[in-house]
Amino acid sequence: MRKLLSIVSFLIASSTAFAQGAHEFKINEVFVHYSCEQCDTVKCPSESYVDEYGEPASWIEIENSSYSTHDIRKCFLTIDPAVLDKNMSAPEREKHMSLISAGDPRTSLSAKQRITFFADGNTNRGTLHLNFTLPTDEPFTVYLFDGNAVDLIDSVRVEPMVAGSSYARIGDEWNVVPAEQVTPNAPNVSFKSNAVKEFKEKDPYGIAMTLMCMGVVFSCLVLLFVFFHIFGWAMNRAAKLARVRAIRAIHEKAAKMVEMAKQGTTETKGVEIETYAAVIGLALHEYFGGTHDLESGILTITQTPSTWSDKSHELREVPQVITQN
Amino acid sequence: MLLESISTMEFIGTKLADFLTYTGFANVEWANIIMIAVGAFFIWLAIKKNFEPLLLIPIGLGIILGNIPFKTAGLEIGLYEDNSVLNIFYQGVRLGWYPPLVFLGIGAMTDFGALIANPKLMLIGAAAQFGIFGAYMIALAMGFEPNQAAGIAIIGGADGPTAIFLSSKLSPNLMGAIAVCAYSYMALVPVIQPSIMKLLTTKKQREIKMEPARAVSQTEKMLFPIVGLLITTFIVPSGLPLLGMLFFGNLLKESTKTTRLAKTAGNALNDIVVMLLGLTVGCSTQASEFLTLATVKIFALGAFAFIIATASGVIFVHVMNLFLPKNQQINPLIGNAGVSAVPMAARISQNEGLKADPHNYLLMHAMGPNVAGVIGSAVAAGVLLGFLS
Repeated sequence: MRKLLSIVSFLIASSTAFAQGAHEFKINEVFVHYSCEQCDTVKCPSESYVDEYGEPASWIEIENSSYSTHDIRKCFLTIDPAVLDKNMSAPEREKHMSLISAGDPRTSLSAKQRITFFADGNTNRGTLHLNFTLPTDEPFTVYLFDGNAVDLIDSVRVEPMVAGSSYARIGDEWNVVPAEQVTPNAPNVSFKSNAVKEFKEKDPYGIAMTLMCMGVVFSCLVLLFVFFHIFGWAMNRAAKLARVRAIRAIHEKAAKMVEMAKQGTTETKGVEIETYAAVIGLALHEYFGGTHDLESGILTITQTPSTWSDKSHELREVPQVITQN
Repeated sequence: MLLESISTMEFIGTKLADFLTYTGFANVEWANIIMIAVGAFFIWLAIKKNFEPLLLIPIGLGIILGNIPFKTAGLEIGLYEDNSVLNIFYQGVRLGWYPPLVFLGIGAMTDFGALIANPKLMLIGAAAQFGIFGAYMIALAMGFEPNQAAGIAIIGGADGPTAIFLSSKLSPNLMGAIAVCAYSYMALVPVIQPSIMKLLTTKKQREIKMEPARAVSQTEKMLFPIVGLLITTFIVPSGLPLLGMLFFGNLLKESTKTTRLAKTAGNALNDIVVMLLGLTVGCSTQASEFLTLATVKIFALGAFAFIIATASGVIFVHVMNLFLPKNQQINPLIGNAGVSAVPMAARISQNEGLKADPHNYLLMHAMGPNVAGVIGSAVAAGVLLGFLS
């Protein structure tokens, strides 16, 4: 049984680890390259972001959305909707997709890191090049598949855009962003600076922050207070019930003993029955509150005048000073 | 032969002259001298005045160590030079993994029994966190950015590891000053708190005797870290590193089955981490980074934060007493213990209580808000991190 439990636990743990791998990748930004004749943008992203050969191309940016390092190698990218056919075998699917090859350290993405693949239809140019291009005049969907070519990790539908702009994920929403905000290999929005900036603008005196934070701190500790207040009450109640049961049992036993002693059916070992009754009575008194923790703190006995404290009754006489002449 | 010995002498002369350019004497600046004096002062405070010696001695020596002048020549010796031994130690501060380890030790050493026995004392621990947010507002008014203000304000939690953890995430450039400030004021708690406590209480209030706390069962003690972890981290997941380790350490202690681990976490491991933490935090206060106007402001804000935290704890007890029956009144002297300087703040409650009435022992009552303050400041740090990162 123990072995079975261990195996089950291991499997559960392993499945979690698997789920946190490739599924952490998200398509982050898609840029469609227009030829310079089609594009009249002053600051064209195609000019500022080119491939290793210095040539502009469409690109797809993938982000590792987790806070751990994951490798995107052996995953697949495609825009071919044929891969959605569930009856298609994995080897058949692979023919419709572009494999991200292994052996390139750039495919290992640390927390929140991004990688950009050029959709130029020429995989001979390196790991970061895909075997398809992105259409400029019709909508398309980018699919990111896991290494088994079956599990879809992420997809995004892209409508034709104005030349120079890109389609980017900002938070959980997709937006068309203008040329000056196209950010290959960089975060689409800097959330860090935004949070600080937002607080600086909206809460310059820190009052909102104070109210919110104090509210949260109090909520946590109030919940703990409520839980342990109720739990403590329940524990006290249970202890009290146990005590009542114990006292009842003592009562019953004491009554039984007194009865047996009266009838002479019990062995008192030479001790009078009143002594037994007194001991039981004292025990009950102590139990019901005769013992206490709060002491007065006064260690001396208050002197009360009586014949017992009379000097004349002292056992020892005050030493007399004998003077010798 | 003669020529050879001349060239050897020349060689020795050149090398010695070169060597002299590397020495501290050749590179010293006034700022270094000042910082070395500050380090020496910390060591004096620790040894002579017995102010938090376990912290101030490593920090004091760290300040001296970090301010030994030398010529940067790729020797990999400085704190900020990659691959130097000090830099490797410093990663624990920079990446924030020393503070959770300290919290593990705190958890393994803390008895939450006083808090469980009288759970309403938790609210005092929450109220004292106002010190953090009071200081946050003042810091904003002084012109700090919200993330810097949060890093500085956490000093009011009176919790060194939490201050280091939060400042390393939100305002790493101020971390050295914040850490030294937090530990300095923690050492000065016996100087700062009593006057505020006296100011906000009457003699009669200081003489309030609290009923002894009920006995707490082992089941309750075992349950506390689990329930505490679930409640706090479900509300503030960003506090997970600190709260997780705090309650983990406490579970090691209270489970009664992992005594060895609890002892290691509370003694050996905690001591090692405190040594490295203190030393590297001290080292990070290099004169160029530390001797700035911002540091002066941080120290001023730290003092405000401590004063506000102490005052809010004491005032909150007065408010609670308005709603409590006469036989359940709380002595306001335990309000100061809402800051998480464990157990220093609780000892101050005890001392002040004894001054008012030599038969009034407040230590165990004060431990309740004191440990609640540890939880409260970790939660506050988590919330600030969540909002500003």
